[in-house]
Amino acid sequence: MSARFLFLLFTIGALLPGLSGQVPKTPWGDPDLQGMWPGNMGVPLQRPESLGTRATLSDAEFAQKEAQAKKQAQADSQSTAASDSVGIGPPSYWVERGKPTRQTSLIVDPPNGRLPPLTPEEQKLRKEARGGKGFPGEWRGEANSYDDLNIYYRCITRGVLGSIIPVVYNNGNEILQAPGVVIIRNEMIHEARVIPLDGRPHVSSTIRQYMGDSRGHWEGNTLVIETTNFTDKDAIGSNGAGYPGDPGHHSADLKLTERLTRVDANTLNYQATIDDPKTWTRPWTLLIPLKRDDRYQLLEYACHEGNIAMGDILSGARADEQKKTE
Amino acid sequence: MRNLVHLTIAAALLTVSAAAQTYRPPRAPDGHADLSGIYEALNTANWDLEDHSPQPGPMWQTGAIGSEPAGESVVEGGTIPYKPEALEKKKANFANRRVNDPEAKCYMPGIPRANYMPFPFQIVQTPRGIMFVYEFASANRLVNMGKPEEAGSDTWMGTNNGHWEGDTLVVDVTGLNGLAWFDRAGDFGGKQLHVVERFTRVDPYHLNYEATIEDPTVFTRPWKISMPLYRRVEKNAQLLEFKCVEFAEELLYGQFKKK
Repeated sequence: MSARFLFLLFTIGALLPGLSGQVPKTPWGDPDLQGMWPGNMGVPLQRPESLGTRATLSDAEFAQKEAQAKKQAQADSQSTAASDSVGIGPPSYWVERGKPTRQTSLIVDPPNGRLPPLTPEEQKLRKEARGGKGFPGEWRGEANSYDDLNIYYRCITRGVLGSIIPVVYNNGNEILQAPGVVIIRNEMIHEARVIPLDGRPHVSSTIRQYMGDSRGHWEGNTLVIETTNFTDKDAIGSNGAGYPGDPGHHSADLKLTERLTRVDANTLNYQATIDDPKTWTRPWTLLIPLKRDDRYQLLEYACHEGNIAMGDILSGARADEQKKTE
Repeated sequence: MRNLVHLTIAAALLTVSAAAQTYRPPRAPDGHADLSGIYEALNTANWDLEDHSPQPGPMWQTGAIGSEPAGESVVEGGTIPYKPEALEKKKANFANRRVNDPEAKCYMPGIPRANYMPFPFQIVQTPRGIMFVYEFASANRLVNMGKPEEAGSDTWMGTNNGHWEGDTLVVDVTGLNGLAWFDRAGDFGGKQLHVVERFTRVDPYHLNYEATIEDPTVFTRPWKISMPLYRRVEKNAQLLEFKCVEFAEELLYGQFKKK
């Protein structure tokens, strides 16, 4: 049987969803996770405290959420660029709000769906960073230099998690496989993480990278990716770095374990455990169910190349100062 | 001595081209030639596609480190067939290269430049298409091997449609935004840039790379570059991260900082 014939057989197999409950396999025998898996906005990172340890919404709560989404969609469809106020943000019709789901928080462990407490040394670090100003978070008007703005404004990267946690735009994720390698492409700032599966050791701990150094292996039908060698200049967040309520800064000791499992023909569960004892008092885990969408087109996000905002923010701040002295 | 070096190079090239006629590359799972691996150019094309003498770089402060080695042209026929006004623009680009070269600004390098920058890149052949992942600026592109897609909006890395001609991967690149340069000498294409690339594995360690470049707004006729790309054979060779935005911020925004 030729390789091409095997390939054809495989393709037919992939077209029959949930084929006897089996996970499809690549022509070379790995579980096949390939496809376009855009994120779905709308589940908060942390669970509202009132919901306690409840991981899913009740029927009534879900109905309310759906009604809200319907109302919002109607408002969005009526909004136009012209009627929105001038500002840095997009008009509301442009925003991806996602399809309502019952999941009450992306954080599934600890059981209360909330971030564990910061360690005392991390609390001190966050307070004292940059001479007491703290790490750059949501931009609040101070712009003495480009590094007063977070890595999101600077278009550096959103890191492994910030690139996959769903936000209001650029939620495309694509998985590609070849023998011995998996690539995870994120639309958010054009990432393409090449993950070797050949059991090689991590690079030297001297080498530090925003996206870390990833190694993958299969546990049954689950792709397990362990990533180390992070920098401490990155942050975990739904909007890149340090927005209110975001996990924010992590240390260079972060060990990230991602687990990707196809749970049905159209759902890929993305689970990530954040183990960074310098920053959080215990490990915590996110669950992001990704829905297959073959029609989604991943476009090139040339964030830095088109970053007019940075020059405008800084030069605007200088112009304001000039005006005040006149 | 110099002649001997040239002779040796000529002999090596002959060997490569002779091998190309007989070499049958290993097969990927879909039966096509397996080009996957990490490659890097070993020439001075990123300094200047055309013949060039050794000369200072744009920054005297970096001394010999930032200066330009001599190199022979990778352009078929030696020179790029610019229209007169485009040649003037290339010269202006060169004069202002320290601040205007998109490489200095950490912009995505575009095609063809991404393939011969002094950084490795990885080819991964997948059932969804052929991925090119570049270390420089995390640039990447997925070559569609299915029904050709029309370019949507212009991008830095283009709309990439590929097909096989025997064991040669041919990539047709359109939808390029015309903002990228081809090298540090200021060579450039325009809004109608169209690049057809050919990747051929000529032996276990080399790809032959050819690109035909056309843009009637800039050039008088299509022209071609060619060069070998070398496989990175180090044990555990892998792409590392070169997110260079923060290395370019002072250059781009330093003028706007609070004094």
